[in-house]
Amino acid sequence: MKVAYIFATSRHTVSYVLGKMILPQLEEGRHGVTVVGMFFFEDNNYVLMKGNPIGDRLHKVAKKTGILLMGCDQCCYEREIADKLFDGVPIGCFPDLYKALSGNMPDQVITL
Amino acid sequence: MTAACREPCCSVAPRFTVADLFERGFRRMREAPLAIEGGTIADADGNAARFSIEVDDGKLADARFRASACTTLIAYCEAISELLPGFGVDVVAQLTANELVAALPGVPALKQDRAVLAIAAFRAALRAAIQREHIEIPSSSWPGLSRPSTP
Repeated sequence: MKVAYIFATSRHTVSYVLGKMILPQLEEGRHGVTVVGMFFFEDNNYVLMKGNPIGDRLHKVAKKTGILLMGCDQCCYEREIADKLFDGVPIGCFPDLYKALSGNMPDQVITL
Repeated sequence: MTAACREPCCSVAPRFTVADLFERGFRRMREAPLAIEGGTIADADGNAARFSIEVDDGKLADARFRASACTTLIAYCEAISELLPGFGVDVVAQLTANELVAALPGVPALKQDRAVLAIAAFRAALRAAIQREHIEIPSSSWPGLSRPSTP
């Protein structure tokens, strides 16, 4: 099964759910499903900034396994980080996300 | 008499960032179009923009627009609408997409093509104004804006 994650809430979504659950499992190759994409809203976008330690690990796994990483463009502009993301990580809105995923559509989209 | 508030909440000038331009642009898009409207210009991604302008005595008096719900595109269109009024048509006609990109830092390279669309839409409105108002612009200005010769 292929899934895409949308990180929409800003509690421990990135530092805990992503950083301590999903990401280690992806690194160990035992997440259980194929992750095709991750989209980040609001403060969750800081994980995509160059130098972020969780983001650095995520970026490496994404490059290795072909996971699409994308930040919400409005959220990134608001935080003035749109041009400070890891190389190759785009920003966009829903049309950009759907277009980017169209060649590898997920079976499930999970909002966290 | 009450002194004007000089705290940051009241005295800060509008910021020229993508996020702030987007907010102001979103409000501008709700305003009724001005008298001279250009055609709708679209790109391959389905984004579109359309400018309306007011010209007074050969100068751009005001500019408004409608654009697709793309943050970057709206910010570029708003930048045009804020920067150019007050300048002559021959001057504003020379603004290029590269100059617009340079004026608004912080936009990733993948999104900078929205400036091309914004400029094309603005020029469409300028072209309409030149035809309607019979404005003569110097040949040094962008040639595509010249008023078509009468057959």
